[in-house]
Amino acid sequence: MDIWTQLLQGFATAGTPINLLWALLGCTIGTAVGVLPGIGPATAVAMLLPITLKVDPTASMIFFAGIYYGAMYGGSTTSILLNTPGESGSMVTAMEGNKMAKSGRAGAALATAAIGSFVAGTIATVLVTFFAPLVANYAVKLGPPEYFLLMVLAFCTVSAVLGKSTLRGIAALAVGLAMGLVGIDQISGQARYTAGVPELMDGLEVVLIAVGLFAVAEALYAVLYEGRVVETQNKMSKVHMTALEWSRSWPAWLRATFIGVPFGCIPAGGSEIPTFLSYATEKKLSKHPEEFGTTGAIEGVAGPEAANNAAITATLIPLLTLGIPTSNTTAILLGAFQNYGIQPGPQLFDKNAALVWALIASLYIGNVMLLVLNLPLVGLWVKLLKIPKPQLYAGILIFATVGVYGMRQSAFDLVLLYAIGLLGVVMRRFDFPTAPVVVGMILGPLAEAQMRNALSIGEGKWSVFVERPASVVLLVIVAAVLILPRLAQLRRKPAGTA
Amino acid sequence: MRAHQTAIGAGMLVVAALFAVGATSIPSEAGYAGVGPNFLPWVVALLLGACGVFLVWEATSGGFRAMEEPSGAAQGHWPGFVWVSVGILANALLITTIGFILSCALCFVLAVRGFKSSEGRLDLGPKAWLVDAAIGITIAAPVYWMFTQLLAINLPGLTNGGWI
Repeated sequence: MDIWTQLLQGFATAGTPINLLWALLGCTIGTAVGVLPGIGPATAVAMLLPITLKVDPTASMIFFAGIYYGAMYGGSTTSILLNTPGESGSMVTAMEGNKMAKSGRAGAALATAAIGSFVAGTIATVLVTFFAPLVANYAVKLGPPEYFLLMVLAFCTVSAVLGKSTLRGIAALAVGLAMGLVGIDQISGQARYTAGVPELMDGLEVVLIAVGLFAVAEALYAVLYEGRVVETQNKMSKVHMTALEWSRSWPAWLRATFIGVPFGCIPAGGSEIPTFLSYATEKKLSKHPEEFGTTGAIEGVAGPEAANNAAITATLIPLLTLGIPTSNTTAILLGAFQNYGIQPGPQLFDKNAALVWALIASLYIGNVMLLVLNLPLVGLWVKLLKIPKPQLYAGILIFATVGVYGMRQSAFDLVLLYAIGLLGVVMRRFDFPTAPVVVGMILGPLAEAQMRNALSIGEGKWSVFVERPASVVLLVIVAAVLILPRLAQLRRKPAGTA
Repeated sequence: MRAHQTAIGAGMLVVAALFAVGATSIPSEAGYAGVGPNFLPWVVALLLGACGVFLVWEATSGGFRAMEEPSGAAQGHWPGFVWVSVGILANALLITTIGFILSCALCFVLAVRGFKSSEGRLDLGPKAWLVDAAIGITIAAPVYWMFTQLLAINLPGLTNGGWI
């Protein structure tokens, strides 16, 4: 396979004026939603899913991808300048970035975050370019049993391993799977859990669940509990790094990239673990450990920010080559593909090669756009932080309506939207993770189909899952993912008490 | 807090029971696969039930484990919540009759009332209503035009022209 020719063709497609415009629009909206508290990339992409009804797939995937990583750039601005992180991956950036901003170095923190995101995003894109086709080539050989187990692995990592409580993670996953059951069964055509409501025959829309759980729940939560929370904003300074700051930043960027990429690739997505790992690494290696947590160390911003972007970019590998989403946003991107009747997976690189390569090329282009949008123009985005909360959240509700109503033209969906929003408030209040719900809902029906196909191959015998070498390996990995963290905990406990 | 946690676990058990009841009416013809369309519903119902049992057990034996302190106030501000809820539900009710722009603007106005009341600065004067209505329309109208005119996606209007 000649990757170069295909990549060049991708650039040719992504470089047409109209597609460049979509990329720019996506990056701009992405940065904006990253900066704005109360709305993240998953919500933004979900609200804009109705455009899949009219816009051609290449353009809209370029657009959505722009929103996805644009939000990562924007998120760092908020976490450095406000004392509340814009999105979860920026939590660590907020710790050190805030300290830097408080000691008058907001500009340097913003610069190292933006340039670090660019460096990491670009390196990760290069890795996606070369590895995704390799993974796809290998993945063609996988059959339904392996796919089913890969999806089980994704379920386990998303629900049981990542969160604080395994029980609440699994409970959230069960709710997601239950939502995925509503509608017509893919294999037998049997209607399930529709209660005679015609609107439920087509199943629950992913837009509805995502917008309800994130946007509406966020608004309801804010009005219920956060009315009296006063946010303070740090002072801006000139966006500029000294030679010393450059020399302290770049090793951190590179180290963090290589921490972030593997975490994005495996179905254990989420950027929280790599950002924390990178932070810990930088703290250990730094020649200025006394700055961490006091005046703010630039490595502590450079590393996690780069790790975040590297991981986010690398989550596209499992999404594109296996069709397995490992985060909220990739789950919704999968929903976008499904709206076009495209099933991401190894065949994507054959059947929709033009689309995939245009998407990958647009990642390179988008990273450059975002660097420009976020360095010289950062002052513009900071102004967004001045929008008062009542108008901001009320405005988000308007966009939520467009997204949900635009998708199916059903007022019934708007009532459901409110119900899902209430569910989201309860989940947020009692610390239930939301990613398992979205991943379970989207991946559940696919996993079920793979499981039943696998059993058909095995003529109804479950032993089909242990008779193929690849599926045995996957079973072992699933078991390891579930058991090893418990063992580590058990070993740590006696040591801690002794 | 503890009582709420138990209620969540119990709620989960109710949902599990509903899913189990629903699963009994799904046929089980399996074809070659050995498992039919009712297999996953049963698995999910059992999973929900198991989670419900464990949640109730955790709640009654010291509360949910490894809980992160929820952000914000300890007590909910219910008047604000009612304003926003009425806004969203009114929108669902009215969108097909008074059209997207007006319905969303109404939702916007009501929601702003709710957030302002939660911040302790609720203003019910006519001027505030008018200003917020104007802002709501300024946000909703361009969005509506972008969808109906540019993308040709159907959103309900007051007239059929696609402008209001």
